Amino acid sequence: MKRPVRLEPGQKLVLTANRLLDGRTVWWGADGTWDLHIGRASLLDAEDADAVLARVVAEAQRDGVVGVYDTAVQAAVPPEPVTVREKIRAHGPTVHPEFAVETDQ
Amino acid sequence: MSLPVGHYQYDRIDRDFLQARIAEFEGQVQRRLDGTLSEDEFKPLRLMNGLYLQLHAYMLRVAIPYGILDSRQLRRLGEIARRYDRDYGHFTTRQNIQFNWIRLEDTPAILRELAEVDMHAIQTSGNCIRNVTADEYAGAAADELVDPRVHAEILRQWSTLHPEFTFLPRKFKIAISGSPNDRVAARFHDIGILARPGEDGAPVFRIFVGGGLGRTPIIGEELFDSVREEHLLATLEAIVRVYNAHGRRDNIYKARIKILVQAIGVEAYREAVEAELAQMNLERYRLTPEAVAAIRSRFAVPLLEAPADADAVLAEQRRADPIFDRWVRSNTHVHRDPGHIIATISLKPAGGIPGDATSAQIGRLADLADAYSFGEIRITHLQNVVLGHVRKDRLRDLWLGLAEVGLAEANIGLIGDIVACPGLDYCALANARSIPIAQKLGARFADTALQAEIGALRINISGCINACGHHHAGHIGLLGVDKRGEEFFQLTVGGRAENGAAIGTILGAALPEDETVDAIARLVDCYLGRREGGETFLDTLTRLGHEPFREAAYETV
Ligand code: HEM
Ligand code: SF4
Repeated sequence: MKRPVRLEPGQKLVLTANRLLDGRTVWWGADGTWDLHIGRASLLDAEDADAVLARVVAEAQRDGVVGVYDTAVQAAVPPEPVTVREKIRAHGPTVHPEFAVETDQ
Repeated sequence: MSLPVGHYQYDRIDRDFLQARIAEFEGQVQRRLDGTLSEDEFKPLRLMNGLYLQLHAYMLRVAIPYGILDSRQLRRLGEIARRYDRDYGHFTTRQNIQFNWIRLEDTPAILRELAEVDMHAIQTSGNCIRNVTADEYAGAAADELVDPRVHAEILRQWSTLHPEFTFLPRKFKIAISGSPNDRVAARFHDIGILARPGEDGAPVFRIFVGGGLGRTPIIGEELFDSVREEHLLATLEAIVRVYNAHGRRDNIYKARIKILVQAIGVEAYREAVEAELAQMNLERYRLTPEAVAAIRSRFAVPLLEAPADADAVLAEQRRADPIFDRWVRSNTHVHRDPGHIIATISLKPAGGIPGDATSAQIGRLADLADAYSFGEIRITHLQNVVLGHVRKDRLRDLWLGLAEVGLAEANIGLIGDIVACPGLDYCALANARSIPIAQKLGARFADTALQAEIGALRINISGCINACGHHHAGHIGLLGVDKRGEEFFQLTVGGRAENGAAIGTILGAALPEDETVDAIARLVDCYLGRREGGETFLDTLTRLGHEPFREAAYETV
C-alpha cells in the first residue's frame, strides 16, 4: 500500500519501525542500526528512499524490527516528523511527559 | 475452598486449558523470535491472545468476564502493571483492562501470572465472540429484576473457544442486563440481552440484534421479545450461525452483523433464525434448570448484614459533611438491601486520564474491596470501578480511604465523567488524540459544585471513526478527525446509550482542537441559560432542537 511521496521543500524521508522484542518505536540510522532516537535517523531523498526501504525491509527479521515504512520529516537537527502521529511516535505519548524519549544528542 | 463473591469459580478444566494455551503461545513467540514465523503469520496468533502492537509498544488486553474481579485478581493486575508495565493500567469501555507498555518476550510470563488468578487475554481481539459485558450493578441494584451474571457466565462458557465461531466475518460483542434501566448499552451491541422474570419464575430474555457504533452507527432491533431460558443458548447459536453463514467477508467495513440485519431486514433475519432453530437439535442446547443451578452454585452469595441504624448513621454523616454528601449523591446507587449501598469510584479525576489507574491505586482498591465489599470489584463500561455491597454505616470510611489515593472524585454521570479511548497518544489507528481534550474538558469543568449544577451530561470521545469511546452515544460526542495532519473534532449532540438509545446528530463542520473546549463550554452555557425547571441537557436539547446549540457551538466572538 505504497502512496506516492510528495515532499515539501525542506523535507526528507526517514525509515521507522517497531522493535520485535518490546515494540518500541525505532528509527533507521545511516550505519544500518535502529535507534530509539529520531535524532540519529538517516535522512533520505525521495528518489533513494524506495531502494533503501526495500533493502531494510528484507533485513527486518535479522535486525529484530517489524512494520518498516518511511515518513516525511523537516530536515532539521534533530529532524522533526511532519504528522502528529509520527511526532508522537518519535517523542512518546503527549500525556505522559515522564515517558518522553529523551532527546540526548 | 471458599467461593469468590460475584464471579464464577474456575474448575480444573478451565485451569488446564489456560496452561495449555499459554504453553502453545510461548512456542509461537519462540518461533516468531527465531524467525520461523513471519510477522504476517504471527500477528493473528498474538491477537488471539490479546496482544496488539501499538505506536510505542505492545498492548495487552486482559479479559474481565462481565466486568467482575475479586481482590486477588485486581491485586495481581496491579502487580503486573508495576512489574511489566509503567506502573499503571487502563480500564476500558468493554470492562477490560489494557496495559500499554508490554514486551513481547514478557508476555508468556504475564499470561502465567494471570492464569494463577484464573485470568487470561483470550478472545479480547479477533473475529470471535468477545468478552461478554454485563450490568455493573448486577446482583446488587434495587432496580434489578434478574441477576444477569449467571447467564453471562453461561454465555462465557458457551462462547469460549466455540469451534464454529472462531472465524466469524468480524468481531462480535454481546451485553446482558437484568434491569429495566439499561446500563449496558444493549442496543449498541451485536447482540443485546435484557432479562426479566417470566411467569413460571424462570427468566425470559428480550434479544436485540445488529446494534453497533463504529463507521456505521446503528441501534439494535428487537429480534425476540421473550426467549425462554431453556432456549437461550439455542437461540443465540442460531443467531450467530445465520451471521456466520451470511455476513459479508469481502469488505471489512460491511462485515458486522448490523450490516447484514440492515441489508435483509430484521423480519428476514428472524425467519432465518427460526429456520435454523427448526433444524437444530434443540435438546443439545437446552438450558435446564439443573444446569443453571449448577452454574449459580459456583457463585458465592454475599451475606448482607447491617446494623439496624446503618441508614440513620449514613444520613447523619451526610448532614454533617456536605462534601461527603455531594459524593454520595453522584457516586452511589440504591442497593436491594436497605442496609447497603452501591459505590461507584470515579477514575476520572479532574484533568486526569479517563480510565487510568496507577498500580498503587489498583492495590488500594483491592484492599478497600476486601474491607468494604466482600473482596469484589466491578469495572464499568464507562471506565469506572464499582464496589457493589457497601454497608451504609461504613460508606464514609470507604470514602475517606478513597480520598487518600485520589479516588474520591464526585462526578459519576456528570460532565467530568468523560469516556475517552486511548486515541493518538497510543493507538495505531487514531486520527487525533482523545486524552488531552478529555483532560482539558475535565479541568475546565473541575468544580464539583458546577458539575452538580449542570447535572446529568455525558461526554464521549473517540480518536477515530472506530468509535471505541462511544462518541455516537454521548450526550455530547467528540470524534477526532485528521485534516491535513492537524487534529480536528466533530461534535455530535443527543446521543444516548441508556433507555431510549439514540445516535448523536452532527452539529456541523469539525472544529480545530484548540477551539473545541470553548465550543463545548458555549454548548453547556446555552443549556444552562435556557433550561426550564429540572431539565437535564438532553431534556433541553429535545425541547429546543439542535439549532440553538449549533449556533452556540459555532458562534465566533
Ligand atoms: C488501542 C487499541 C484499539 C484498537 C486497535 C481498536 C480497534 C477497534 C476497531 C478497528 C473497531 C471498529 C470495529 C468495527 O466497527 O468493525 C473498534 C471498535 C470498538 N472498540 Fe476498539 N480498539 C482499541 C481500543 C479500544 C478500547 C480501549 C476500548 C474500550 C474497551 C475499545 C472498545 C471498542 C468499542 C466499544 C468499539 C465499538 C464496537 C462497535 O462497533 O460496536 N477499543 N475498535
Ligand atoms: S476509536 Fe480509534 S483511536 Fe480510539 S482506540 Fe479505537 S481505534 Fe484507536
